[in-house]
Amino acid sequence: MRYAALLLPALFLALFLYAAIRRVRLYDCFTAGVKEAVPLALSLFPYLAAILMLSELFERSGLSAALIRALAPLFSCLGIPKEIAGLVLVKPFSGSGATALLSEIFSAYGAESYIARCAAVVYGSSETVFYLSAVYFAGSKKNPAKPVVISLISNFFSTILGCLLCKIM
Amino acid sequence: MNFVFTAVFLAAAAVFLVSDPEGFLPALLAGGQKAAALSMTLLASYCVWLGFFKVLEKSGLAEKLARLFRRPLKKLFRSDDEEALSLASQNIAANMLGLPGAPTPLGVRATQKFLAAKNTYAADMLFVLGATSMQLLPTTVIALRAAAGAASPADILLPTLLATLFSTLTGAALTALTQKR
Repeated sequence: MRYAALLLPALFLALFLYAAIRRVRLYDCFTAGVKEAVPLALSLFPYLAAILMLSELFERSGLSAALIRALAPLFSCLGIPKEIAGLVLVKPFSGSGATALLSEIFSAYGAESYIARCAAVVYGSSETVFYLSAVYFAGSKKNPAKPVVISLISNFFSTILGCLLCKIM
Repeated sequence: MNFVFTAVFLAAAAVFLVSDPEGFLPALLAGGQKAAALSMTLLASYCVWLGFFKVLEKSGLAEKLARLFRRPLKKLFRSDDEEALSLASQNIAANMLGLPGAPTPLGVRATQKFLAAKNTYAADMLFVLGATSMQLLPTTVIALRAAAGAASPADILLPTLLATLFSTLTGAALTALTQKR
């Protein structure tokens, strides 16, 4: 993974060099960009707080564990190993929660196992849909239900496909 | 969102009332604490990326990138708003490269511009593209697998790419098909 690590410094180097040659006032320009960071973070904060409190309640009340148990049979008949049901359900809500689950799965079943490979594909091919919807549509009056449902359905299809691909590839 | 929030909150609060009344407030506080911590993390990454993207914009490269994708993006988003399309094209590029934290500020600003122009279709499309993950190189997964001792940590690359390509195409198609012209 050395090449992937090169990407970021190379990207910044190339851009700043190009900008310097084009006589962009780099310091003034960079700080002008940073100036927009605080208002953006502040405008998102109330939505993040509400969503994270809700997901904490959901998790600690045991509702999420009950949901995972209830959905496990459905998952296994679609070819999704029941060991990764938790990951599939957590990923839309929490990126860090999903990352924690993924490394737990790796250490419990071994990183080379079928279950671990499925988990890796599921993690890599889906996104934190609810979190993104809170951020993207923060403060707008638009109802995000439609794009959220479409994203969840698409990601669920790709989960089924991913588990199938892990079996044959 | 109001409905989901109300329903889940009431259900969870009822469970706490019955089974664990003392656990209720700590759960809420833990959520608030996570939000505060996450906001600081986000703020730090916004500082880096908004600075970066301002340089990209002022150097004229953002314009070049946007011009490259202008025609397909105009069609895809059904929009003529040059600035929003430029932000959207940078958001898509950042998503594909998997630059950590970079797509969000661009996506939020593009969405705000689309919505200000009452183009909810474009906002939906941009959200679905981001939320179905277009990352070409799942760096986190590969790093975690390498750390867990996998012999070839990158061998999930092809199935991941196929699965995520499939979900992005499905999402885009569903968004386009469910939209009245």
